[in-house]
Amino acid sequence: MKLLNVSTSPHLHEGVNVPRVMWTVVATLIPALIAAFIFFGWYSVFLTILGIITAVVTEAVIQLATKREVTISDGSAVVTGMLLAYNIPPTAPWWLPVVGAIFAVGIGKQIFGGLGYNPVNPALLGRAFLMASWPVQMTTGWSTKLYEIGTSTVSGLKTHIIEGGNQMLGNLITSATPLNLAQQVRGDIVSGTAGESAHTVFNQLSSLSFIENLFWGNIGGCIGEVSAAALLLGAAVLVYKHYIEWRIPISYIGTVAFLSWMLGGIEGLFSGPILFHIFSGGLILGAFFMATDMVTSPVTRKGRVIFGMGAGLLTVVIRIWGGYPEGVSYSILLMNLAVPLIDKMTNAKVFGFQKAKSKS
Amino acid sequence: MKNILKPTGILLIICVISSTILSVLYSRTKPIIEANNKAAIEAARKAVLPDAVKESFTAVDVNNIASGQPDFEPDSILFYKGYNQAGELVGFTYKSAGQGYSSSTKVVTMVGINLDLKIDKIKIIKQQETPGLGANCTSTDFTQHFSHKDPSTIKVDKDGGEIKSITGATITTRAVTNSIRDEFLTIKKDMMKQLDKGAE
Amino acid sequence: MKAIGEFTKGIIKENPVFIMALGLCPALAVSTSVENAIGMGAAATFVLLGSNLIISLIKNFIPAKIRIPCFILVIASFVTIVDMTMHAYLPPLHKSLGIFIPLIVVNCLILSRAEAFASKNGVGLSILDALGMGIGFTLALVIIATFREILGSGTFLNMQILPQSYKPMIVAILPPGAFFTIGLLMGLFNQLKKKNN
Repeated sequence: MKLLNVSTSPHLHEGVNVPRVMWTVVATLIPALIAAFIFFGWYSVFLTILGIITAVVTEAVIQLATKREVTISDGSAVVTGMLLAYNIPPTAPWWLPVVGAIFAVGIGKQIFGGLGYNPVNPALLGRAFLMASWPVQMTTGWSTKLYEIGTSTVSGLKTHIIEGGNQMLGNLITSATPLNLAQQVRGDIVSGTAGESAHTVFNQLSSLSFIENLFWGNIGGCIGEVSAAALLLGAAVLVYKHYIEWRIPISYIGTVAFLSWMLGGIEGLFSGPILFHIFSGGLILGAFFMATDMVTSPVTRKGRVIFGMGAGLLTVVIRIWGGYPEGVSYSILLMNLAVPLIDKMTNAKVFGFQKAKSKS
Repeated sequence: MKNILKPTGILLIICVISSTILSVLYSRTKPIIEANNKAAIEAARKAVLPDAVKESFTAVDVNNIASGQPDFEPDSILFYKGYNQAGELVGFTYKSAGQGYSSSTKVVTMVGINLDLKIDKIKIIKQQETPGLGANCTSTDFTQHFSHKDPSTIKVDKDGGEIKSITGATITTRAVTNSIRDEFLTIKKDMMKQLDKGAE
Repeated sequence: MKAIGEFTKGIIKENPVFIMALGLCPALAVSTSVENAIGMGAAATFVLLGSNLIISLIKNFIPAKIRIPCFILVIASFVTIVDMTMHAYLPPLHKSLGIFIPLIVVNCLILSRAEAFASKNGVGLSILDALGMGIGFTLALVIIATFREILGSGTFLNMQILPQSYKPMIVAILPPGAFFTIGLLMGLFNQLKKKNN
């Protein structure tokens, strides 16, 4: 007989339980899906549903095969499949979310014993796996239709393409996301190989009218990450209900804002486009929906701030100097792995005990 | 004292025996290994300059003296001259190395140059790039882009040039393209001298 | 009867890679293709055979104090023999195995068989042990490489076996793919072991 039943986090109260949190997360992710439908069409919704179904089926099959209780109704597999699909390009081949979801649930979660035992966020692990396996499919296919929306907003870009000096042809046209473009243009400017028009493009990208597009989601990007507005709407509900902790997203986004302002500009220190870095890429999605995963984030308040700041630092480093244009997923994965260390470091003092003296 | 001498003696015996065996084997395998290396590099030269005869390649070093020692390759060797069956000069080959995505191994390219100073063919002879991405640089789909181009002006498409980059591997493409160009620009003068000589 | 047991134990029951977790460095590094795996397995088996044979022969002359340097000397000699022979007669394989041939010296499988078996048993048993362990090691490498090559390149022994439309799972031939494959196979072996007991 078990006298003391020790369970892992999430420890919940107020009648709030895992299924309720998970299904709320699903509901708060729906606005982003609607935004994806508006900007990318039916196919992106189809990919998302494919991701969800595969994740749920994988979870059920593994749990049946290992003779454990089937827990697909708690919604955690749905969240994983949904977040994974949100992290792939809107015109990706259909098997991409399928393979990714199998890996995310199978290797990312069930192999460690299911919900609560996974060391890193399963959806992000699935994305990292897809990124390493099929980099071409994962970094292209932002769809040409999508790009046209992008060009018309970055006016001057077309001239930039046609002008000599620093042309961008071929691949970039079909693969450009704002971050992609910003990283490359900035790299050219800093290394001194850029033409006149590069400055125009960089300034266009950080102009307010373009930030507006970033905010609503009228840009190139992965299925679920483009519309900051839709994601913030969902995130607000989660924060209001205390289902997610505000310390992680705030310290995360704050660090990104400060560091990108300090390091991300083209006119020396402290000239970077803050809003551009906050609203582009997967930062909002990552900071509110993935970094806050209860299983893979620190339990102490101080630890959560450290977690957010570390993820922010890594994100900016990858965005500005890295080989990839976007670093949100890798930075969260790396910080996930540091969580046990952070928890140990920020453990609350236990009253009434004396610190054991070291015997050295 | 005996405690030290005995183990030392035994170690000495083992060392002597094994080094004897190894030195005999070394002297046996060394000529074969060198012959293999020479054959491999000659095959690479022939591949990028198909008009030339395999055995005809001769080195040109800084002083423009053709040295007759093909396996001896000092830094002063700039490029090789290739001759056809009739003994006429048909072109040059040189090696270029550029820093790709792998930190430890540079991308080494063998380049064949025709008499009109255009690229004949290129062949990647050494690389450690990412499989599926940069490693695709060895495929003819990629290397054929270089044929008949002027090596002094080639650039990657993203830098405004005509070399189509490998999808998702601009760094590798750039390493190959830029190294070919830079190396060519440093040896161009000497190559022209060789051309003048051939015309005499 | 004992002799047969010494030979077969290395293949499954005490498989060097999956059960004893020895020699993982080459198992991770050169299992990108079946061809490399066979080459590496053969090279390691040869070294294992040679070192077990010599060490079991000279074990009575070696003072206990300096046995490790002596073992390493013997192993290093055999590795150098393999390295030079392969370089001369099998240059393509030598090129693809590269640094991992000299690194057989530090393959803990070989030293552990020398220390744990050859230095305590006779010549005949030591040879059987080396053969069994070598075959087990090669088998493990080939199993890992089969998964990695099929998934990562769509080929088996350089023959295209998956349709051309298959998009290779590149991660399988990258280092993470090796960890995933070995981890999953080790789990499978443990599961089988548990069932058999």
